[in-house]
Amino acid sequence: MTPTIGYIFLTAALAVSLYGVFVPHLGVVRNNWNLIRSAQFATILNLVFVLAASAALVQAFVGDDFGVVFVWENSSSDLPLFYKVSAFWGGMDGSLLFWEVVLAGMSALVAYLYQRTNREVIPYVIVTLNIIHVFLLLLLVTYSNPLATQLPVPLEGRGLNPLLQHPAMVYHPPMLYLGYIGFSIPFAFAMGSLVRGKLDNEWVVTTRRWTLFAWYFLTMGQMLGGQWAYEELGWGGYWAWDPVENAAFMPWLTGTAFLHSVMLQEKRNMMKVWNMVLIIVTFSLSILGTFIVRSGVLNSVHAFAQSEVGPAFLIFIALAMVVAFTLLFKRIKLLESRHTAENLISKESSFLLNNLLFVGIAFTVFLGTVFPLLAEAIRGTKLSVQGPFFNTIAAPLGIALLALIGVCTLIAWRHSSWRFLVRNFRIPLGGALVAVGFSFAMGVTHGGALAVFAAAAFTATVLTLDFSKAVIVRKHQGDYAWPEAALQTVMRNQQRYGGMVLHWGVVFVFIGLAGNYFSREYNLTIPQGRTATAGEYQLLFKGFKSYQENNAQLRAAEIELYRDGELLETLLPAQSKYPTSAEPLTEVAIRRTIAHDFYLAMASENEDGSVTLRVLINPLVVWAWMGFPLFTLGVGIAILYKPKSLREPALERQYGVA
Amino acid sequence: MIRSWKFWGVLSAIGAVVALFAYGFTVDPKLVPSPLVGKPAADFTVQQLNGEGALTLSDLQGTPVLLNFWASWCVACRDEAAILQEAHLLYDVAQNRLRVIGVAIQDTPEKALAFAERFGKTYFLALDDEAGTIGLDYGLYGVPETFFIDAGGRIQYKQVGAVTRELIRTMLDEMADEMASPKQEKGS
Repeated sequence: MTPTIGYIFLTAALAVSLYGVFVPHLGVVRNNWNLIRSAQFATILNLVFVLAASAALVQAFVGDDFGVVFVWENSSSDLPLFYKVSAFWGGMDGSLLFWEVVLAGMSALVAYLYQRTNREVIPYVIVTLNIIHVFLLLLLVTYSNPLATQLPVPLEGRGLNPLLQHPAMVYHPPMLYLGYIGFSIPFAFAMGSLVRGKLDNEWVVTTRRWTLFAWYFLTMGQMLGGQWAYEELGWGGYWAWDPVENAAFMPWLTGTAFLHSVMLQEKRNMMKVWNMVLIIVTFSLSILGTFIVRSGVLNSVHAFAQSEVGPAFLIFIALAMVVAFTLLFKRIKLLESRHTAENLISKESSFLLNNLLFVGIAFTVFLGTVFPLLAEAIRGTKLSVQGPFFNTIAAPLGIALLALIGVCTLIAWRHSSWRFLVRNFRIPLGGALVAVGFSFAMGVTHGGALAVFAAAAFTATVLTLDFSKAVIVRKHQGDYAWPEAALQTVMRNQQRYGGMVLHWGVVFVFIGLAGNYFSREYNLTIPQGRTATAGEYQLLFKGFKSYQENNAQLRAAEIELYRDGELLETLLPAQSKYPTSAEPLTEVAIRRTIAHDFYLAMASENEDGSVTLRVLINPLVVWAWMGFPLFTLGVGIAILYKPKSLREPALERQYGVA
Repeated sequence: MIRSWKFWGVLSAIGAVVALFAYGFTVDPKLVPSPLVGKPAADFTVQQLNGEGALTLSDLQGTPVLLNFWASWCVACRDEAAILQEAHLLYDVAQNRLRVIGVAIQDTPEKALAFAERFGKTYFLALDDEAGTIGLDYGLYGVPETFFIDAGGRIQYKQVGAVTRELIRTMLDEMADEMASPKQEKGS
């Protein structure tokens, strides 16, 4: 398939999306369900078309067709096949097409899954999704066409940015996209409900799995990004409060708040307006994230070329928000609920506090991210907002959230008494004290770190007690063996215990993050054959080595790592040169243990034959990566939970039988 | 019409945020004003790439200088190659009112020469030393960066990224005015 045919498919996709925008409304007005069915079919057809367009782009990448500008800009013939395919989303235009493909996939699934249910709102869900399609496809066929060709055809491509040639870079962007885009589905359902004035809990219940799904991928995407930064960039950290990181973090924060607050609506019929606000904000922030990455409005290490799509995105965000909030305020009377938290000490209050904290952090991050722009607009000064600002505010709020997991698990719906709390908090508080004492004995004196460990131990104790109690009860009820009792407990309340596994992941991530409070750094220059000391480690520099790996030329320092005279491992920190880039890249060597990572980066090879190394001893990093399996398992369990579906009376009467 | 102050509050907030980002389009966050502007340009002596003689910057005083930092591996340098060569032919060779100098950084003589040949550069090209002394003196952030030095040897402007024809034309006029009224101080 040629790029031109691919482009024709893009225009065809635009046509069916336009159909999907107007026809469902017509179907509702004329009371003709067949029209709505046809729009659902158009939505599925859209997926076929954009897949065909993508196939053309993939083919151009694999076949080194540098006549396609986007391929020329982001690939070269010496690139491993793996990266030729992932270069698809390595640049601006391709990633926009990738976005469209993912959204088309999800929209088609929505169109397919809800053919017979959610009939009242589904026409406008389809409309909402297709409006997003029209926007993306308009960009794709005009400003941002990844299939644009050029003449004469260059012999060689410019090459993929070597920094992006890392496995995490293959998975990280698609995962983030799945997350960002996933929130479009609950948003579309929210809009559908607002348009139709069907403001019961149906949209919340229907989209629960979509929300979990989006949350999961947004979380994984960010963690993979952190891992990439840690292993590939060589500065020894995984999070830098860079605008583009913040851009992904903000929808995550509001999305996480949403994930929690919809439970209040589902269980207690509360926070109906708030949930609408949260999903509108989360969706807008998802798009804002893309806008920030692409527009070049904020200074970021994530160097996407500045492009013309910035203003288009800004206009789209503005329109989406204005329309969504107008709809919300038109229906606000129907949404306001008489239910409020009846008592200060109740699970409801702890959910409210949870939301307050999440939104508080999100607001802080937003302020810090746009502040340089604000300062320049008002005072005309250039400044940048760095880690300390964010950490000062986000860390205490984060620690409070960690402790709140424990509190919320203990506390009952509607009403709890102080006496009950005191009784139940005794053991977890004891756990926290033990953790603080233990950390202190291990030499941890940083207040922040101690606070994290205390909160983590508190919550971990609560989670353990809560689960054990349930398992014990189960065992006695049915005379099961322990593992079966445990499994049954989990499967009988997937929502609760999926959540529990997730929260264990949160505990681990926090412990990993706390390691930042006491990491150590050494800068060493070692002549060949000599030894230097970094903390409890001794490093023997054996000499330099050169070798080829894929398309990169590596120059490594061979370092033998000793502790107490015992050889632990030979590490090979290196600098790599890629044919398409003059700047050498740092290839770090890491020795991972439960206690800390020994992180070794080669700073330079000196003229006298010595090597200069950056050594970081990063405590507890491995713990943070434990979030990967735990989040996966937790979401896997929680997604099995099926809420009692709401009945839809008398729909056939409204539309006739389909 | 919705008569709720909350609604109008939300709308104003959206408006404010959008206005702020729209303002963002008009400024470049990467553009940090160089403290070198208005200061005398750091002097240096370099060998010509093709081995034909050397050049000392201070010897050129009396004529404005366009000092361009480039590299054979830099993509944007390819984009501006033709513009620089054109400026050399037009303002230097033909009109004798501007000297164009290119200093390559983090490069090898072979690659730099090959690049110069490929783009038909005939103006004075040199290579920074291995320690990157000249680059450090000029506080380079990346390549290409271009400094406009007036006849009095002061840096008048620093361009980050590729130059344009308009920029060179404007700067030439400005530096001519600058010389006509030497009392005028440019802030740094």
